[in-house]
Amino acid sequence: MSDAVKNVKLHLIVLGMIVAAELIGIIAFKVGPGKLVLLPMFYAMFMGIFMGPKFTKIFNEKEMTQASTLVGLTLLLLMARYGTLVGPKFNEILKAGPALILQEFGNIATAIVGVPLAIYLGLKRESIGAAHSIAREPNVALIGDIYGLDSAEGRGVMGVYICGTVFGTIFFGLMASFMAAYHIFHPYALAMASGVGSASMMTASIGSLSAAYPELAENIQAFGVASNTLSGIDGVYMSLILALPISNKLYTYLYKLKYKTSEGNV
Amino acid sequence: MTKLNLIESFVFLVFVSVMTLVGNLVGFHNGIIESIPGMLVLLLLCVAGVATNKFIFKKIPSVLFVITYGVIISLPAFPYSAEVNAAVAKVNFLALTTPILAYAGIAIGKDLASFKKTGWRIVVVSIFVMISTYVASAAIAQAVLKYMGDI
Repeated sequence: MSDAVKNVKLHLIVLGMIVAAELIGIIAFKVGPGKLVLLPMFYAMFMGIFMGPKFTKIFNEKEMTQASTLVGLTLLLLMARYGTLVGPKFNEILKAGPALILQEFGNIATAIVGVPLAIYLGLKRESIGAAHSIAREPNVALIGDIYGLDSAEGRGVMGVYICGTVFGTIFFGLMASFMAAYHIFHPYALAMASGVGSASMMTASIGSLSAAYPELAENIQAFGVASNTLSGIDGVYMSLILALPISNKLYTYLYKLKYKTSEGNV
Repeated sequence: MTKLNLIESFVFLVFVSVMTLVGNLVGFHNGIIESIPGMLVLLLLCVAGVATNKFIFKKIPSVLFVITYGVIISLPAFPYSAEVNAAVAKVNFLALTTPILAYAGIAIGKDLASFKKTGWRIVVVSIFVMISTYVASAAIAQAVLKYMGDI
């Protein structure tokens, strides 16, 4: 049996952290058009960070490495739950039409915009994890599975995941309000774009749009939920088949361009 | 990443299931006994996904199988899907996220120095990632809806 699985101290302390985090519970602040939401998972994460040798010294380096080998597996239970959220709505999604399906390809834009930006800012292989997708749970699980969450790619995807979880809701709320206010896109198009695979981001965006166009609110909400569910289904396939290979190609090409050498020669 | 074998994965998934049941009780007031059937379904989906990856399609990540199996068993046409969906609904989505971030937090401690170094860059990338997916999806939806004459 692997040492990581056998480390009872690790699991018991994690259990304690979970109980503490759940006891604090969900705290929400209303900020402008969106909401800043603090979830038990954040508290658990911060407690985890402070368990290390730099702070309380409850865990040593070896135990931290053990924890990182286990993260990928913990994600699987959530992914199973994710699948069961999608199944019941499958028929509604089939009916939802070509616009809904084709707009999903817009999600690849994260790689085309994000990878060059990340490399320009000086990130290395973190760029791939960070920019291949909007880094919601299925994407994190996928990167964890392929590269490991303790790799550079893993740090990238976790970084964007954490930013998205902390600021994503408020950011999507503001972005939707802004786009609606300037009539850049039709509200239905914005509603479909809201579903990026995160229920809270989608809710914030749909909330802002519904407030801006009360007479269209029902359709806006239906499109938002359908698009989000669709992202739930295709998000992980899209990442594996399209976004991740595109990110890797872009990375290799731009790396050569910037550092005048291919990555292997460093 | 050192890969665990199927038995080790199973044992660890049982630990996490127990933690989730406790978190589900404390945070969301779903009783442990009433949540066990749903948790077992999730556990079986994971084991099936990991086994498929270990024994059949070694190149394809287990995540993909776990999600796909989850979708299949919850489809309205699948036998007993109503019962399965009702059981799984007892396990709160957020209760499943807490153990993940607890382990991830401990693991992050190890990379804190490199996080500090990349931190602000990741924040900038995050913002552009969110804007680009939103604008690109909206542009495509707009074009298709216009073309179809829906708007």
